[in-house]
Amino acid sequence: MNLDSTQHIARSFDSSAPSCFMVATILLVEDEPVTRTSMAARLKRLGHRVLEAENGQTALEVARRERPDLIIVDWMMPEMDGPTFCETVRRDPAMKSIYILLMTSHDQPAQIAEGLARGADDFLSKAASKQEITARVLAGLRTSRLVRELETTGAQLESSMLLLQTRQAEMEADLQSAAAFVHSLLPPPGIPAPGLALAWEYQPALTLGGDLFGVAPIDADHLGLYILDASGHGVAAALRSASLMTFLRVENMLELIGSYDPAKVLFEANRRFPLSEEGEYFTLWVGQLHVPTGSLSYASAGHHGVLLSPAERPSQWLTRPSSPLGFDQAAVFASDRILLQPADRLFLLSDGIYEASSPTGEPWGRWRFQQAIETQKRSLLATTISHCFTEARRWQEQTDFLDDAAVVGLELTV
Amino acid sequence: MDTTSVCNVSEALSQADGDQELLLTLAELFLQESPKDVAAVRAALARQDRDGLAAAAHKLKGSVMPICAPRLFESAKRLEVLGRQGEFAEAASVCADVETRLAEVHAALRDLIAGGFPS
Repeated sequence: MNLDSTQHIARSFDSSAPSCFMVATILLVEDEPVTRTSMAARLKRLGHRVLEAENGQTALEVARRERPDLIIVDWMMPEMDGPTFCETVRRDPAMKSIYILLMTSHDQPAQIAEGLARGADDFLSKAASKQEITARVLAGLRTSRLVRELETTGAQLESSMLLLQTRQAEMEADLQSAAAFVHSLLPPPGIPAPGLALAWEYQPALTLGGDLFGVAPIDADHLGLYILDASGHGVAAALRSASLMTFLRVENMLELIGSYDPAKVLFEANRRFPLSEEGEYFTLWVGQLHVPTGSLSYASAGHHGVLLSPAERPSQWLTRPSSPLGFDQAAVFASDRILLQPADRLFLLSDGIYEASSPTGEPWGRWRFQQAIETQKRSLLATTISHCFTEARRWQEQTDFLDDAAVVGLELTV
Repeated sequence: MDTTSVCNVSEALSQADGDQELLLTLAELFLQESPKDVAAVRAALARQDRDGLAAAAHKLKGSVMPICAPRLFESAKRLEVLGRQGEFAEAASVCADVETRLAEVHAALRDLIAGGFPS
């Protein structure tokens, strides 16, 4: 909002300001010349600019042209009387807020009520003393100023609002196209390599998410997979995630380190993505699967969201204590190896799914996620994942997640 | 005759915020305008026009206020009421009063314009 207009309003509210400095334009409408001349002279003596009209029709033309601060109009006039004049002014959008004093020689309550009902703001007796005229005119002008300031401020607010709405719409359109781009980078569900099935569900918290994942063949026998989580939310987190995602592309890794060895990938990522100046960082889990034997090597940088769900044995989390990326330039990450059997499932998930909180603040938790997976071993992979989302939503009693919610499932098909 | 009941100059001057020039202007304007109002009153009476009579008497009454002529004011006010009520016979008689009092006020105002304000 314009600061000046705020100050104007503050001044108008300041009752200590000397009111005699309010010089205004006043339109005086009176058909009788002696009274008109007398009243005009008295108003001019108060320092105001006075416009005179001898009938309602002329007065309307003058009022439209000059937009006076105040109109004083006689009640009894031929053709258009005072109350009719008030009604006409109130119907005109450009003039409807002009303050009107209805001048009368009678002051019966019924007539006052009629005058007010037909659009007058106050009354002025033709026999009023100088003090009364001064007081009523100044009171009218104070109200009139206030109304004008409010109208101006209102118009400014409205145009600011329209501008903001336009900007907001542009930003949302930008966010949506950025989100569409990020989504296009995610691996398509289906068969990423012979003997494997891939399914996933992903619901970003905002239009853009900071949790991303990838599944891509490295060579004829190997599959690379990862899940990453950028600290923070929104556009900045999403941009940083997209940059790490680009870095983790298979061809880039083969060029940089000659393989997709998880420990080496983490070592390089750790060097290239230091803690940001704002203190933002990534957690990352990387795996490499030798498809013919089911041998999975993996390493984690502070990411604890990978669960192995074997067909015949209890599920287990594939992680070990480690720090996130970027805290220590020389950090070395250990890798582990495990052998997957046919029909075993691997789940990569973001913390947004298991940190979904109930209305009382209790998180759904990794344990309940694990239970949901255990009870769904016989279901289709996509159904199992969908079941997890249903359970998490039921737990938090709302559809949208506060943080990015992602569950990626990989199954060794028999 | 009490001259203040014809035209109370000191009260009129006070209403004009002590502005003698303004009061003289108003006096000249009254001398010029009031005969038209009385003519309008007569015409309305002749055609027995209630609204016309009331409006003309009201206008005359209004013009008397700034120059503070109480007796003329009262007559004009009475005439306005009679006009509104359609009492044309009585209105004709009050109209004669109005003319008499108007002549007095005109004389007083001419004196004021010619002789200036009493010190």
